Amino acid sequence: MLSIENISKAFGGVQALNNVSLAIAPGSVQGILGENGAGKTTLMNILFGLIRPDRGQIRLNGQTVVVRSPRVAQKIGIGMVHQHFKLAPALSVTDNLALAVGRNFGLLHRASFRYRITSLARSLHWAVDPDSVVGQLNVGQQQRVEIIKALLGGGKILILDEPTAVLTPQEVDELIPAVRSLARSGITVIFISHKLSEVNRMCDRIAVLRRGELVFAGPIGELSAEEIAQHMLGSPGALPSLGASSASPGLVRLHLSRVCCPLPDTHRYKPLLDNIELSVRAGEIVGVAGVEGNGQTALIDAILGSLPISSGVIMVEGSDLAHLANFRRARQFACIPEDRQGQGLVLSLSLTANLMLRSYRNPEFKRFGLRRVAAWRARATMLIRSFDIRCAGVEVPIQSLSGGNQQKALIARELHGNPPVILAINPTRGLDIGATAFVLQQLAAARQRGAGILLIHSDLDELLAISDRVMVMYAGQLLPTNWPAVDREAIGRMMMGITPQAA
Amino acid sequence: MNISGESLGTFLARQTVQAATPLILAGLGELLAELTGVINIGIEGLMLIGCIAGYAAAGISGSGGVGLGAAILAGMGTAAIFAGVTVWSAADQIVAGAAVNILAVGASGLAWFFYQNARQAAHRSVSLGRHVGFQSVAIPGLSRIPFFGPMLFDQYMLFYAAIILAVLIWLLLHYTRTGAILRALGDAPEACQAAGISVRTWRTGAVLFAGACAGAAGAYLSIMRTHAFASDMTGGQGFVVLSLVIFGRWNIPGLIAGCLLFGGINSLQQTLQTTRYTSHATLMHALQHIPFEFFQMLPYVVALLALATLSRSSPGPRYLGQAWKQ
Repeated sequence: MLSIENISKAFGGVQALNNVSLAIAPGSVQGILGENGAGKTTLMNILFGLIRPDRGQIRLNGQTVVVRSPRVAQKIGIGMVHQHFKLAPALSVTDNLALAVGRNFGLLHRASFRYRITSLARSLHWAVDPDSVVGQLNVGQQQRVEIIKALLGGGKILILDEPTAVLTPQEVDELIPAVRSLARSGITVIFISHKLSEVNRMCDRIAVLRRGELVFAGPIGELSAEEIAQHMLGSPGALPSLGASSASPGLVRLHLSRVCCPLPDTHRYKPLLDNIELSVRAGEIVGVAGVEGNGQTALIDAILGSLPISSGVIMVEGSDLAHLANFRRARQFACIPEDRQGQGLVLSLSLTANLMLRSYRNPEFKRFGLRRVAAWRARATMLIRSFDIRCAGVEVPIQSLSGGNQQKALIARELHGNPPVILAINPTRGLDIGATAFVLQQLAAARQRGAGILLIHSDLDELLAISDRVMVMYAGQLLPTNWPAVDREAIGRMMMGITPQAA
Repeated sequence: MNISGESLGTFLARQTVQAATPLILAGLGELLAELTGVINIGIEGLMLIGCIAGYAAAGISGSGGVGLGAAILAGMGTAAIFAGVTVWSAADQIVAGAAVNILAVGASGLAWFFYQNARQAAHRSVSLGRHVGFQSVAIPGLSRIPFFGPMLFDQYMLFYAAIILAVLIWLLLHYTRTGAILRALGDAPEACQAAGISVRTWRTGAVLFAGACAGAAGAYLSIMRTHAFASDMTGGQGFVVLSLVIFGRWNIPGLIAGCLLFGGINSLQQTLQTTRYTSHATLMHALQHIPFEFFQMLPYVVALLALATLSRSSPGPRYLGQAWKQ
């Protein structure tokens, strides 16, 4: 019996886990469900000794264990298959296992490893060639090697961190009976996922996490799929008033027609983007909901030109972007990227320099190829005042600002000057309530001034509150919805891939 | 150069192996270090330090063995500085390696200056006595085999050592868990970390071993093959070693093949420069019209061509040149 008792963990003020308790019986398959950022991975990293909890304890068969490191976790029989495999691609399967679970530094007992690998694989009805080089195996086969590695290392409790995210449906179909047969042989399996259908087929019990809290734990079948989806998404919270959307949107600003994007590699079966149809008109916000990893990043990359598309047309205000160089193409858009510190801001530069990144080429800001310091300062001061950026001065390094004020600076730069098309990805992630309200109000104000806004957002409530139209991204497809004629739960079901046509 | 009593082919074969020996020695160490993810472009400098340390220690002690030991220790000592800077302080390996090369030029020149002064002050000869240093060792019986005998069994002691070392390292890499770890360190350090292996400790060991090998290669140049020291005596061989590791695709048989190829071209060009071989008068006549600088350049051109054609198909260890920060 593995008991997780009152575990809490905070990362810099954000409560990643709050008082989570869960008991897992030996030989059972425990599903852990939750949206991205719900705390699933944090909980598993605590179990595996990668993170120390702030409070709470872990008990194994009644005894309190302190999992200080992955090494300790392995010693007490906890094995983990990470999303990113920890295998040496240049070595054979046998050598990888010898490296991971071997103890001596003498001669390799390849024959005995071969025997252990093949007999374990056979008991799971897998075909694993112990002499093949890991780098030449596909992702599904590599995952099997990882599972074998965890079991040969003495694992009695196997944590699978979103194992199906990298698999084809066929590989998923083969993984499920293998996991069931492991459970029959007494291995405890903890299966992390945000895909309901797989959890239903694989698990005995499920636990649902939402924003760091355990909102449900019980046997499979106690709740319907709809009820589980509702647990994962939660109930709507209070949001700022955002002003009415304009009654009649104007001309089409951004238009995507039949945009497809092939696979980056052959191991994944779904296209990144599957026949995307999208238009964003002046004065409207089109919201794209979806569980992360369903093609949202690819959509933005395709629009900005950093991801080549295999077919289809992307147009801004009626002109095709296909022949523009990427840097010219990027200038067509105001963009609030997901990774604000990596893509949106230059952390080593000052606040002023960051505010000027879009406009420093304008003649008013330069003279003889040099910058006009006074003009820069005037523009920066104006933006700081009108976007209420709290800072100690215009020349302070942008790093010295709080996360919320960094985001305000980014938004000030991008939204100033009435850009015709705005792309925003998770613009409020990691922000406190005040900064969140500010960001949403700024987007609403830009809409009022006639911008066409494409908003990709993982917070469904904020998305529904601000969007004029809502679409759902699932498995590379962009599905229209009848929001607000359909309810929030219907959109939640579409995000989970349940009855996508019903909404 | 006295080549009487040998056919040109036998002479060239023997010269080829002699020229290849320091490359094999230094290459084995560098290959191991690169497998673990550390590229040391300071091999040239480590060899030069081995040259002077070996020469001076042999000269002072009068013993070639002491010279060889000193060269190995000096190579390891300098490599320890490199390991501290790159493996533990995560500095850029290329920049640190370049610094090692510059350091070595200065340090070896300084050591040479002090050595000469000390010897002159003591009224002793600066050059090594005939009995100091090493002579080639003919293995009884085997060295009498036509062609292969002089080529493989009438060589300096370090050649035999290099071949034994090569076989041992090859066995180590492919038949032990240590070898599996070494091969994984540069390719998937995170897999090693997950197995509880200290990536940085192992990398340090590999770098020190490479330093020892380069030091020995330096001693080979100064107290075996030539019995002399000159400030430019490594002549870029340390850099050639780097390209030969790539040429051999991080495999020991490939590395040795590359070393022999390079050594062969190099000894061919030296022979063409220095001998007038009467029985091959027509050939020599034809070659006389080519400036000898062309032949000097030839081995390096071949090395570059090999790099250009092979690098693309064989990228080497994935984390080569990247520091591990955990």
